Amino acid sequence: MRKPTLIFLRNPTLLIFLILFILMLYFVYGMIAWNIRASFTDWNTAVPSSNFVGFANYSEVFQDSLFWQSLKNTLLLFLVIPCSLGLGLFLAILLNQKVRGARIFMIIYLMPFAFSLVVTGKVWAWMFAPDNGAVNTILRSIGLDRLAGGWYTDTSTVMLSIIIAMVWQFSGYCMLMLLAGMKSIPQKEIDAAKSKGASTFRIYRGVVLPRLKIPILTSVVVVMIFVLKAAFDLIRPWTGGGPGTSSYTLPIMVVNEAYAKTHVAYGAAVANILVAVVLCIIIPYVYWSYRGR
Amino acid sequence: MKMLDRFVAKVTAFVKTFQKKIAWMRPKQIALYLILILFAVGFLLPIWVAFTTSLRPEVEVPKSNPLIPPTSPTSAAYSEALGKLGRPMINSLMFTTAVVACSVFIGSFMGYIFSKVRFKYSNLVFLILVAGIFLPYTTIVYPLFSTISDLNLHSTIQGMIFTHVVYGIPICTLLFRNFYTKIPQSIVDKAKRGGAGDWEIYRKIILPASGTAIVTVVMYQFTSVWNDFLFGLVLGGAETQAMPATVALGNLAIGTEWSILMAGAMIVFLPVLLLYIFLGKYFVRGVAGGASEA
Repeated sequence: MRKPTLIFLRNPTLLIFLILFILMLYFVYGMIAWNIRASFTDWNTAVPSSNFVGFANYSEVFQDSLFWQSLKNTLLLFLVIPCSLGLGLFLAILLNQKVRGARIFMIIYLMPFAFSLVVTGKVWAWMFAPDNGAVNTILRSIGLDRLAGGWYTDTSTVMLSIIIAMVWQFSGYCMLMLLAGMKSIPQKEIDAAKSKGASTFRIYRGVVLPRLKIPILTSVVVVMIFVLKAAFDLIRPWTGGGPGTSSYTLPIMVVNEAYAKTHVAYGAAVANILVAVVLCIIIPYVYWSYRGR
Repeated sequence: MKMLDRFVAKVTAFVKTFQKKIAWMRPKQIALYLILILFAVGFLLPIWVAFTTSLRPEVEVPKSNPLIPPTSPTSAAYSEALGKLGRPMINSLMFTTAVVACSVFIGSFMGYIFSKVRFKYSNLVFLILVAGIFLPYTTIVYPLFSTISDLNLHSTIQGMIFTHVVYGIPICTLLFRNFYTKIPQSIVDKAKRGGAGDWEIYRKIILPASGTAIVTVVMYQFTSVWNDFLFGLVLGGAETQAMPATVALGNLAIGTEWSILMAGAMIVFLPVLLLYIFLGKYFVRGVAGGASEA
């Protein structure tokens, strides 16, 4: 009789697998558990402390106007998702026609996706520079002086500037996913609709779009993950959350509270709220996409 | 008469092929290309503007049109940016290469287990693993920072390598698993009947067949590790320790030294751009493949 625990020692493959899996469990789920535990303590100074204070940190978070500002901006950034999808769908439909050099166009549209978010932040800061940035220069040269403005230096347009930069970066990805989805639709179905005299628009609406549910859903989730990443990586080197706190986001708030100000428990509470927001979107997605398998 | 018939046939054939050749130039097609080109210009504009500005002397920048390249280009901004980015670029290059090498081995190994070895509940275990992809890393920055500090790995290249390798496990496993499910199970079963162990099958059958998957993962991990900002900021420490190029770019100038900033941006983007130009196909595959089942 073999003892079950010894199987792993006899089988080095499983042993290596187990080590890697536990490592990953610790650094993903262990860290989340750490945050949950810390959020119920009074560790809000540089000295670690573990006195249980219940939901005190959470109730303080919900009274913090900076939290509501950050939450509002984070949700505002989710506008990037439909905008990128819309632009991506438009470009994918164009490239799905018989186009010469489609590969070259595809490579150009996808290129921003390879950019570091820090590089994007810096480059778009210069694009939107109030004095002679490229955007204002173009607007003035075509007589739209009215629209030329302070962009990210103005509290009312800073989020708009950031959203434009993100759409530039992420719509190529949506285009790629949707185009791959379109290419996998059997030509027969499209020909059948065509022979019935359907217009291009109706073919896309009636035959193509319903078949794109999975790529659309995938794009939504992936772009959301990237938007949350960019909510720190892109905004922090660009505006730093400013002017004032007008472009503060939850990821910036978490890092500033926990890491910069050592309000560890408070930062952990904000982090848990952010994870909860993400879970609200991810769980239905995982359920939906694995339901059939 | 026969000759005339042949001549007419030839002419009509020629006209027909010519019509086919210029068919794509119909008004609708012209509009299509115009839109495509317009968007291509729009997508490339920021890169173009960054490039022209990086070649301009800093004193000229405030008075010039960023869309027009400078009349007397200079590399002054590049040498100044490189002075501050040189060491961080070497740091980034060092840990990124190491991470990519580790990630390829770990990812292919884990992908093999989940696609070919399998065990009870392996699908559930796989889901638990892959869910790690969705975690926004900003949320776990503090516990990560304190763990890495406890391990004495803070502001070291080893710490950067360790962190990136661990958080790369889910996505690399996913990419390799998706690739390995296409290798027929019958080959593996046959080797098993011949008495080969799991490790042997991995080394002799699976690994030699993973060429494209390896290039895809190399491309994916290189871009995501090179482009990372958060881990570098929190764990990298100072320039002489393990600060990556992206963090150094973030600190490069306080605001308005645009030519130096743009030169820095071009320098940091260059390695990824080179990979993108030469291995773009695999970048597409990684980006699309990672999502196809996530």
